[in-house]
Amino acid sequence: MTRSGIGRLPGSARVALAVVVALWLVAAASPAFASRAREIHLGQRLAAPSATHPFGTDDLGRDLLARVVAATPISLAIGLTAAAVSLIVGFAVGATAGYAGGATDLVLSRLIEVMLCFPVLFLLLALAALLPPSPLTIILAIGLTTWAGDARYARAEVIKIKDLDYARAARAAGASTPRILVRHLLPNALPPLIVSAAFGVAWAILAEASLSFLGVGLPAPAVSWGGILSAAPTYIEEAWWLALFPGLALFLTVAAYNLLAEGLRAATTEGGRKA
Amino acid sequence: MTAYLLRRLALAIPTLFGIAVVVFLLVHLAPGSPVFGSSDAIRRPTGRAAEEMRRLYGLDRPLPERFATWISRAARFDLGDSFVDHRPVGERIREALPNTLLLNGLALLFALAFAIPLGVAAGGRPEGTFDRLSGAALFAMYSMPTFWAALLLQTLFSVRWHVLPLYGVASDAPGGGLSGIVDRVAHLALPVTCLTYGTLAFVARLVRAGVAEAAASDFVLAARARGASRRRALWAHALPNALLPVLTLLGLLLPALLSGSVIVERIFAWPGVGRLYLDSILARDYPMILGLSLLTAVATLLATLLADLASAAADPRVRDGAIS
Repeated sequence: MTRSGIGRLPGSARVALAVVVALWLVAAASPAFASRAREIHLGQRLAAPSATHPFGTDDLGRDLLARVVAATPISLAIGLTAAAVSLIVGFAVGATAGYAGGATDLVLSRLIEVMLCFPVLFLLLALAALLPPSPLTIILAIGLTTWAGDARYARAEVIKIKDLDYARAARAAGASTPRILVRHLLPNALPPLIVSAAFGVAWAILAEASLSFLGVGLPAPAVSWGGILSAAPTYIEEAWWLALFPGLALFLTVAAYNLLAEGLRAATTEGGRKA
Repeated sequence: MTAYLLRRLALAIPTLFGIAVVVFLLVHLAPGSPVFGSSDAIRRPTGRAAEEMRRLYGLDRPLPERFATWISRAARFDLGDSFVDHRPVGERIREALPNTLLLNGLALLFALAFAIPLGVAAGGRPEGTFDRLSGAALFAMYSMPTFWAALLLQTLFSVRWHVLPLYGVASDAPGGGLSGIVDRVAHLALPVTCLTYGTLAFVARLVRAGVAEAAASDFVLAARARGASRRRALWAHALPNALLPVLTLLGLLLPALLSGSVIVERIFAWPGVGRLYLDSILARDYPMILGLSLLTAVATLLATLLADLASAAADPRVRDGAIS
């Protein structure tokens, strides 16, 4: 009997999956911390970690643990939705290029190449800073600057499967091109795309954090881990905890998604690296 | 080889055109441009800045004419004047470029110098102790946000142990001779480290995978059978094959390094291209934003072109189109 589902994942990826689930549970519980995260106590500015404030306090005396927890849903949700935008645009462009071939492929491939030529953070900063600030702007900015990588995978995958019998059968039966792409090729190209999406979530969370850290992220009062970290350089000489804890949350999340992605890749490709 | 060269060059022309179009479209994100109308009054450039926008981008003219004007100026390296200090964009980029080249050049050098031996050692015995340990360490490096690493290194090396400067290119009054050099190196240590580790992890994992695959293949086995030492079989036979994908990706490391440069130069107050770009973004200095985007993208295009040509020179299968 072949093992399926989670059982096929290597041990490290199962740990990573548990971490991801735990993070989403923290996100679900985070509203309980929202008011505590907003309480300002100027008398307790930059207090070092202690029993009452396990992560210490920030420059306004707010409890850092509560702030890190309260930021969890935003960081996770933006990562997930931005990666989804990237995957959808990437699949649409890449699969069309791979399926149509010829001149369409030539043009779309140049478009992919053009996107890959820009330093991602350059385009990202331009879109995030110049468009009206909102969560939607951030999500679209990340999705629209990172789809080229997904498009390359989708194109390669579709080229590999488009002339297999079931695709030819669908064509012979008179199915339209969009129908063949979405109903027949997408499900079969899914394993590598899911792997790509899991890496994409890690990257998108990192991208949002970078934007917020650099001061062009979400508008106040929304706060992400990157936003909390943006205060850290100012107080680097007196408050190390401002850098350590929000960064640790970010690192754990990114590492968990990356590890999960590698596990999925190992489980979906034959001859993949054994655990 | 000539046919490959010509085909590759021909494909680069539409890409170059595409880059120009994307950069040009960025102007239309600018408040006051046709996209926004005049609703966004606060962020709308006024006075001299507005005049400069009209001169450079001819915002009152039809789109194709605007594009033609802009592209013909850009082709003559007239990227306009900065809104901030009204100096030519090209001049400001030339001032910042050496600082960034130094940082990124060293980062690339160190990344390759450590990644290749690491990858060979790990890939030579897949699933061995060294492979597992280095694999875990490289994975952690791969997932570690640059700005977090930078802040932690600053906390340890500058704040706690006082062995390295917190930021800057050099001390206010650096000594001459040897002490001046030591001062420069001390200032380079942390930013170069932050820019290096991500690339190092990426390349080392790539080399490891390539070497592990090649080490299990017949031609390496044949080399061993002919009496080549294990070391020789790995370095002289497995590694060259593992380096081919690295060579192809070398061009794409450039934009990744420049992205990292934005963050590293911000944290370490390094007056390079990345910091110039971030400052331009925050000041909405459109001529600088467009000039820098255009130049970095064109530089990447050239780098990928060179990397492709190098792959083709190294591997006949590439120029015959058998693998891409």
